[in-house]
Amino acid sequence: MKQILMGNEAIALGLIHAGVDMLSGYPGTPSSEILGNFQKFRDKFKLEAYAQWATNEKVGFEVAYAGAISGKRTCATMKQVGLNVASDPLMSASYIGLKGAMLLISCDDPGFYSSQTEQDSRSFAKFARIPVLDPSTPQEAYDMVKLGIEFSHQFETIVMLRPVMRVSHAREICEVDDTLHVKANQGNFERNIPRWGAVPPAGRFRQGLEQIERLEAIKLWNWEHLIEPKTHALKGSRVLCLTSGTGDGYVKEAVEELNIQVDILKLDMPYPLPKENLEALFESYDKVIVFEESFPCIEEQLSSPKLYGKLTKHVHLIDEFSKDKVLSAFAKAGVIEPNHAYQSEKYDKELPKRPPNMCPGCPHRDVHYAITKTFKKKKSIYTSDIGCYTLGLNQAAIDTILCMGASISMASGFSISDPDKTVVATIGDSTFMHSGVAPLINAVYQNHKFVLIILDNSTTAMTGRQTTPERTNPNQIDIKRIIEGCGIACHEYVYEQDLNKTVDFMKSLQEAYKTATAPVVAVVREFCVLDKENAVGRLGNVLVEVDEDKCVACDSCITNYKCPPMHYNDAGKMEIDPFLCAGCGSCLDVVCPTDAFVKKEEN
Amino acid sequence: MKYQIVIAGIGGQGAVFLVKVLSIASALAKQKCLGTENHGMSQRGGSVSCYVKIGDFYAPAIDEGQADLLIALEGNEALRNIQYLHKDKGVIVMNAPKNFPKVDFETHSIDAFKKAKAKEFPIDALNVYMLGVTLALDAHFPFTCKEIEEAITAMNAKVAEKNIAVLHQGINDAKAKK
Repeated sequence: MKQILMGNEAIALGLIHAGVDMLSGYPGTPSSEILGNFQKFRDKFKLEAYAQWATNEKVGFEVAYAGAISGKRTCATMKQVGLNVASDPLMSASYIGLKGAMLLISCDDPGFYSSQTEQDSRSFAKFARIPVLDPSTPQEAYDMVKLGIEFSHQFETIVMLRPVMRVSHAREICEVDDTLHVKANQGNFERNIPRWGAVPPAGRFRQGLEQIERLEAIKLWNWEHLIEPKTHALKGSRVLCLTSGTGDGYVKEAVEELNIQVDILKLDMPYPLPKENLEALFESYDKVIVFEESFPCIEEQLSSPKLYGKLTKHVHLIDEFSKDKVLSAFAKAGVIEPNHAYQSEKYDKELPKRPPNMCPGCPHRDVHYAITKTFKKKKSIYTSDIGCYTLGLNQAAIDTILCMGASISMASGFSISDPDKTVVATIGDSTFMHSGVAPLINAVYQNHKFVLIILDNSTTAMTGRQTTPERTNPNQIDIKRIIEGCGIACHEYVYEQDLNKTVDFMKSLQEAYKTATAPVVAVVREFCVLDKENAVGRLGNVLVEVDEDKCVACDSCITNYKCPPMHYNDAGKMEIDPFLCAGCGSCLDVVCPTDAFVKKEEN
Repeated sequence: MKYQIVIAGIGGQGAVFLVKVLSIASALAKQKCLGTENHGMSQRGGSVSCYVKIGDFYAPAIDEGQADLLIALEGNEALRNIQYLHKDKGVIVMNAPKNFPKVDFETHSIDAFKKAKAKEFPIDALNVYMLGVTLALDAHFPFTCKEIEEAITAMNAKVAEKNIAVLHQGINDAKAKK
């Protein structure tokens, strides 16, 4: 049956067709739609299956892994930086193995579209010694999910699926199974203390040896089932291209369009590779070029003087692939003359800059504004975290961003290293639950003095508004009570669109800070403007315009407040784009030193 | 057939909706289709660009100098993505004011913001309006009006009637301008 699917939808459907009935993960672009779509398909087909967001990736991994060692078919989903968080259990689980099946999906982001780092999850697969499948299109992602689950079951190992953004967020007409033969399977944990109780050293040593044996068997399987059948189609050119994942599509298109004479061999499982079999293939070629995204995972497993790739600097080292980069690699390796078929002139005059920014009407903007207004930039350090509020960078309201939860632990560090400044940390509710609780406990236990503001919009807004713990169980898990559980007061503010009130709240925190001997912690109860359930009735209906006589083009609003509808018009005065303005009216009172923002009367 | 479309706009204008409509239309026209969109960081107000490749392709992204058509929901976003157009056959359909800079491509431009301000159509249907303009003005556009209508209906039957009305408004406005 043919269906038009986005990569993450194809993966979700593949999981259902592979009989997976237990799914756990943490949202992160480009992986976020997998779990949501799984829930959608599950409800549509009326299946019994567990599919829930975990508080973080480590938790998500461990929930799914427990399911797998009880004999169920499970999956954990995350993005590449989320895998860093889950790497702790992964390293042990890869030794121990499993009984049912488990697919670990880690979505990569070549080109840094929505990530702090490019990373290559295949490196983690190699580090953990688990096999990894590298799809190049939504169709392949669907097929590889099914293959991965079967393979995981057969070899009792976790299998990684590594789609990149251009697979997860690509759309394609896919051929998928017609019918469903999936039944919820009952887990049955069988006690086996030497295997499941990971206590060193004796049992681990044996499992380490088994892991190496398993890898050898998988290498052979990779050769016999995935690689060798494809070698019959090689045409005997002088140059062999080894490809993997999306690298394959770019090479195929460029080679076809420009009629370049090379052979292409795509490696579906880039780790573990049957080194000897592959290198034997090299004998009939002059050159072998490896095209892979992002790190030299394949290249590092092979050795030959004929090998060209990232390690030999013939292929680019950073950023996503393009056909132009393919041609450049061919040229550097001496396969073709330099060719610029995929380069065109850009528009060279200045265009309006549109960096990622918070939505018009977003409460985060007001909070950042009020913080910098109250805690002056020269006397403060602003640590922040991963989420929509990260975009407060545009307001110059953030000094540091490292990784999930680091705003609080770094606030601790700055309070020790630069005690004359006031440290103000901001973190969202989902990130706080993910990895902010432990650093808060640390700060209270050691009496670190800083201001922590938790921006609670009760959703994981940046990745598409996935549910958070306090959203699902509002009367049980509450940030205020978590803070109070640490033995300190929680300052609470229910956000209003009157910016004066937000500034006043910050001033009250400043007062509290003066006499504090421990962190001053506040929770701001907000909403996401895109969240239909919570934003209703809380978004204003005030349209704002600019009194051009009063506007002196001082830049104050676009520097400190930076709302997307604000822009300069041809007369050099500020103007509000009526199609973007959300009508919150926050800018009316505090933002403009000459009071040029005025309420627009309905005509 | 091979036909490559870049859709550019600003977050919140519905560029991704157009990718979905065009991929459904491809299926209806029995054509292969690969598309891709940028998610995540582009909140409302940021630059968005999406690709749709119809026919035999292996990679979802469009390279520079390759696109047959650039649909821009905002004029400056057309300029920002102009390098993706094929230098001989590239066509631009864009929402831009009359005094917009001229570029070296076959360009069809309409001031849709002005029409929306005059309440001729609702601004949240800008994407469908521009698709109507494209249907009327791009001679090589690979879909018929009927295929696009069916695709819009398949996307969301509840609001299809309204959307199809705006589609035709785009077609009629574009034809009147010719």
